[in-house]
Amino acid sequence: MQCSGARSPSIALLVNYRFEWVKQVMVMTAAVAWAIFCRVVDNFGDIGVCWRLARQLHQEFGLAVTLWVDDLASFAQIRPEIDPTQARQQLEGVLVLRWDTDFPPLVHAADVVIEAFACEIPAPYLAQMQARATAPVWINLEYLSAEDWVEGCHGLPSPVQGLSKYFFFPGFTKRTGGVFSEQRQRALQLAWRDADSAQFLVSLSPACPQHLAPALNISLFAYEPLALKQWLSVLENSSQSIRLFVPEGRVLLAMKDLDLTAGQYTGGVSRRGALEIIPLPMLAQDDYDRLLLSCDINFVRGEDSFLRAQWAAKPFVWHIYPQEDDAHRDKLDAFLVRYLGHQPTPALMALAAMMQAWNHGGDLSAAWQELVAGRHLLQEHAHAWRKNLLELGDVATNLVRFVNSKVK
Amino acid sequence: MAIKTAHEVRAGNVILVDGQPLVVQKTEFSKSGRNSSVVKIKSKGLLSGSGSEVVYKSDDKMEVVVLDRLDCTYSYFADPMYVFMDEEFNQYEVEADNLGDTLGLIVDGMEDKCQVTFYDGKAISVELPTVVVREVEYTEPAVRGDTSGKVMKPAKLVGSEMNIQVAAFIDIGDKIEIDTRTMEFKKRAN
Repeated sequence: MQCSGARSPSIALLVNYRFEWVKQVMVMTAAVAWAIFCRVVDNFGDIGVCWRLARQLHQEFGLAVTLWVDDLASFAQIRPEIDPTQARQQLEGVLVLRWDTDFPPLVHAADVVIEAFACEIPAPYLAQMQARATAPVWINLEYLSAEDWVEGCHGLPSPVQGLSKYFFFPGFTKRTGGVFSEQRQRALQLAWRDADSAQFLVSLSPACPQHLAPALNISLFAYEPLALKQWLSVLENSSQSIRLFVPEGRVLLAMKDLDLTAGQYTGGVSRRGALEIIPLPMLAQDDYDRLLLSCDINFVRGEDSFLRAQWAAKPFVWHIYPQEDDAHRDKLDAFLVRYLGHQPTPALMALAAMMQAWNHGGDLSAAWQELVAGRHLLQEHAHAWRKNLLELGDVATNLVRFVNSKVK
Repeated sequence: MAIKTAHEVRAGNVILVDGQPLVVQKTEFSKSGRNSSVVKIKSKGLLSGSGSEVVYKSDDKMEVVVLDRLDCTYSYFADPMYVFMDEEFNQYEVEADNLGDTLGLIVDGMEDKCQVTFYDGKAISVELPTVVVREVEYTEPAVRGDTSGKVMKPAKLVGSEMNIQVAAFIDIGDKIEIDTRTMEFKKRAN
């Protein structure tokens, strides 16, 4: 296998990791009962992010966390232990409650209430929040964005319903809420070795042979990119072997619609020229992290996998969530400005061109060839970027600190 | 009292927050994620005089106080107050802070009909027409060939310290239309 897999852990990263442990032990809070409301609008980003946050708040800060989810079936896709028929269940210390339309009237409001991605808190629960002797700290957890305006809105209050709700924006600067990152994920990265990548990729699909032949390993998670057909054609005619791992989802459906799995999708591998396509089932979060660590280049989408790819420190191509009025163009540009830095190398320029073409259409052949040729440089850049992310502080720690500053 | 969404609130409006009247000085609209958006509002307490910054979902409903308004024209600047005059030649002083972003569009000789808003008999804000015309005092030379209006450059307006992004084909001396809701260049005025 052609492998640019995980490096040995650097001393700096190790020290930083140890420091994080100490720091988080020091971040204690008097607000011990937290509730997170998660409405699954589409895909798996909503529940993916909310679950990570709920688990982290419990495991790293010892908080009693209740996670209200309106779509347990989606949750079960990324955590098979979840039973969608059960209204109440525990998972890794987090109380998971089904958020039904007829919300029970007398549920006591928690000390801290988080509405994820601007979902509306149910009226009966809001009434309980208003009835508390001490008002809860109410947080609207917003979307991750690299745009400049985020700094100006992060942490501001929103006086509504006789309470103060605070907008908490994850972001890529110290004047924002930082980015999601957990100790378990950092530990996984530190321990990851090249041999783990080979072993993991073999284990992923029964269609994979015991020993993988040399190839460029790529993971693909996206919506329906305009350039999909063209890109796959480029891969097919590549001078080197390419192995494409595609977890179940919209892009796999799009490939089937285009007949790009050559009608052989039965859990097996389909081959087209230099390209091997390996469809995968929906992966649990930790396995998806391993996939990102194991591949040479990752294609990701939305928010959650986009961020996980940055932590995996491999070259990645982001398919941003398309928005009305093309608002996603500004968001992609804003991220690229930060990610590329002031003097981007030709490899980074190729990466940017590839992301633009992937999102907005256009010829991507030249950008892709340059990206592949420069991927070792891109990987070095990805490592440096990950180090920057570590310095921002993670969302959960920043959130606990923020709540502490608001607890009366 | 009227109900507006946060997105509809404009500088000069008076909103009620926890029963307190706040005059809106500035609003900033931003698209957050997945087709949702937020509005940051900078305001000043009408009674307390203290400033504050808050943020709302753009579709959050807000109570807007319906206040007395008068059509006026800008008359002169009497530091630190801006003086407006109605059709009966009554004069009203407005603090610079209460003009918000529109301050950059208040220039000597302007003839735009403005709406001055009153609270308890005091002029508290001024709303300009949706579109005003101003002259460009300085900008880099016009770029010929680009008439798309997508390539922008900064321009300084006559009688104002304000810089505004204008289309590349705009030249010194050109008159331009400005949308006062967004404070953005709209087009070259005829």
